Amino acid sequence: MDDDDLIAAVNAGDDAGLRELFTRHAPWLAVRLRSVLPAAEVEDVLQETFLAVWRGAGGYRPGGPGSAGGWMWGIARRQAALFLRRRGQAELLLPAIDVHEYPGADPAETAVIRAELAEALSALGPEGSPNREAWRLMYVDDRTVAEVAELTGVPEGTVKSRAHRARKQLRAALRRREPAQDGGGR
Amino acid sequence: MTGRYEMAGDHDDLAGRGRRPGDVDLDRVWLGVAAQVWRRHPGPAERAAGRLLRSPGLARALVTTPSLLAGWLIATAVVLMAGLFATLGTGTPYVPLLAPAVAAAGIAYAYGPGIDPAWELARSMAVSDRMVLLARTLAVFAVNAVLGLAAAAAGAAAVPTAAAVTFGWLLPMTAVCALALAAATLAQSANVGVAAGVAGWAIVVLAGQSASGRLTAVITEAGLVLPYLAFAAVCAAIAWAATRVPRGTP
Amino acid sequence: MNVEINDLTRRFGRNRAVDEVSLQAGAGVFGLLGPNGAGKTTLLRMMATVIPPSSGTLRLLGRDPGSYGPRREIRRRVGYLPQNLGYYPGFTVAEFVEYFALLKDMPPGRVPAAVAVAVERTGLGDKARAKLRTLSGGMLRRAGIAQAIVNEPELLLLDEPTAGLDPEQRVAFRALLRDLGERATVIVSTHLVEDVGAACTRVALMDQGKILFYGTPAELTARAEGTDAAGDAPLERGYSAVLAAARIGAGARS
Repeated sequence: MDDDDLIAAVNAGDDAGLRELFTRHAPWLAVRLRSVLPAAEVEDVLQETFLAVWRGAGGYRPGGPGSAGGWMWGIARRQAALFLRRRGQAELLLPAIDVHEYPGADPAETAVIRAELAEALSALGPEGSPNREAWRLMYVDDRTVAEVAELTGVPEGTVKSRAHRARKQLRAALRRREPAQDGGGR
Repeated sequence: MTGRYEMAGDHDDLAGRGRRPGDVDLDRVWLGVAAQVWRRHPGPAERAAGRLLRSPGLARALVTTPSLLAGWLIATAVVLMAGLFATLGTGTPYVPLLAPAVAAAGIAYAYGPGIDPAWELARSMAVSDRMVLLARTLAVFAVNAVLGLAAAAAGAAAVPTAAAVTFGWLLPMTAVCALALAAATLAQSANVGVAAGVAGWAIVVLAGQSASGRLTAVITEAGLVLPYLAFAAVCAAIAWAATRVPRGTP
Repeated sequence: MNVEINDLTRRFGRNRAVDEVSLQAGAGVFGLLGPNGAGKTTLLRMMATVIPPSSGTLRLLGRDPGSYGPRREIRRRVGYLPQNLGYYPGFTVAEFVEYFALLKDMPPGRVPAAVAVAVERTGLGDKARAKLRTLSGGMLRRAGIAQAIVNEPELLLLDEPTAGLDPEQRVAFRALLRDLGERATVIVSTHLVEDVGAACTRVALMDQGKILFYGTPAELTARAEGTDAAGDAPLERGYSAVLAAARIGAGARS
């Protein structure tokens, strides 16, 4: 059964389908989350994620290969954001999940990542500047494009291009910071 | 799943595909998810019973009593309504005549060996099979009494000649139910209990009719009060003794 | 010591199903072997407090099951799988396990997690919400094991637990036994000798109500040396040797 079928089954109340989804997706979700969260919180986030999958399977719209993974990642990310916000680290660490994967990061490495990100973020501009604000609203506060457009008073197209530019800048800044880890090609 | 303990189910190594971070216990995560996904949420009646009886297990056993399930209750109500309509049509109070038999059947079916397949296991439980039987018997009796009283009162309101037997049948009902319970526990069969209760009551009613000409003689006769009570007590004692030392194959 | 039995006897009419059995067991896995009718089930039923003994002393988990209060406390800490376990066809596996968890006085808050653990440990994770009437015999047996272990019992009594399990499942089951035996007393009654031989720390061999042998599996195997006892495997041969010697002895006496 492919992922779309499994999610449909879960929506119909098939808990064995949820178990299969867990088998397939929990490992890579855990790896991604582990780069910014300690193991115990990764476990909590994953538990909440799959409970949310169980309850919210009806909200999934099939969209070709990988869309199930993307949907589940979206849920996991929202749960992770909740945890990070509580610890006051959302602005710095959420971009790390999105932009890079740091497999097996330990606390010391996470601190380094935070420092690097702080520097990279400043490359977006001072706080309150358009790119940085778009970035913060969309990725840290988890707003939709429409909401950000309303809040900042600019058209949605502008919001999208600002966010896109911000991501590119961040990625470039982070790549500059890190010594030849993979030799580029990310 | 759950690493070492997997009993060769259909998914070995639940979270083993792809790389996984070494210190995240995915088995524990799944158990947390499963606990919430698989859990049963008791209804308000069960929760109230659990608080009242101070035993969630006893409450669960009570709400799973076969003769307290919706189907059975509906059937009981149907029988009593039929009696009510017969009363309205003929003036004879059929509800007090039917209610004891219906209650006896319900009580016999609250009992174990006839219908409880996990009977042996039930006898090793902290909430003992006897407690369950007692609670179920009382609950079934109470439910049947309430339904019967409602139907009998309706009949009495509509047909004044039937008013005399609005309550009097509760005592014979107790005796008949005790008979059904004693028979069921002695024979270790719910069906025997039903047969004994229904047949016993039918015989008594017909005997009363042939002796005095009235169908309701056995309900209204004051002199029968003590015999009914004594009979009920004896049957209860038999049921108690029969559930004390489990018989059966070694 | 979780189980202390002295001269325990159980009569049915004139027949002594269990005849002056003495036994002590702490943590570990104990096999109870013997032919059908040997009294194994009766002994297990007494330990499960399902039937009282006719004579002798029985102490379980440091308590006397003869009075109501201690018996109820014992039953909270015991897991029992009878030889013939019926099931409620309309219940799901999770509901079945939960029902008996509640009847063992488990605090309701702890029940969902305990049910999940028990269901996964017996390999029924895929079938947790499947109705029991849809399950095979082996799966039903595993559901029975799940309800027995749900309350993490200190004394686990299993009567013919491997009935209906295929070889792969039996291997996993033995691993489960070894794991449980680290903290609890696990007593497994079976007439399949090799089945439990590998998992048990000690083995008792019963026949006609009496215990003929109590020792390690290696000691039982050693009993076959010097005899031409029947059997395809070492434990089986030891088993046959002990049985044969006892019956010859009984024949000589009568």
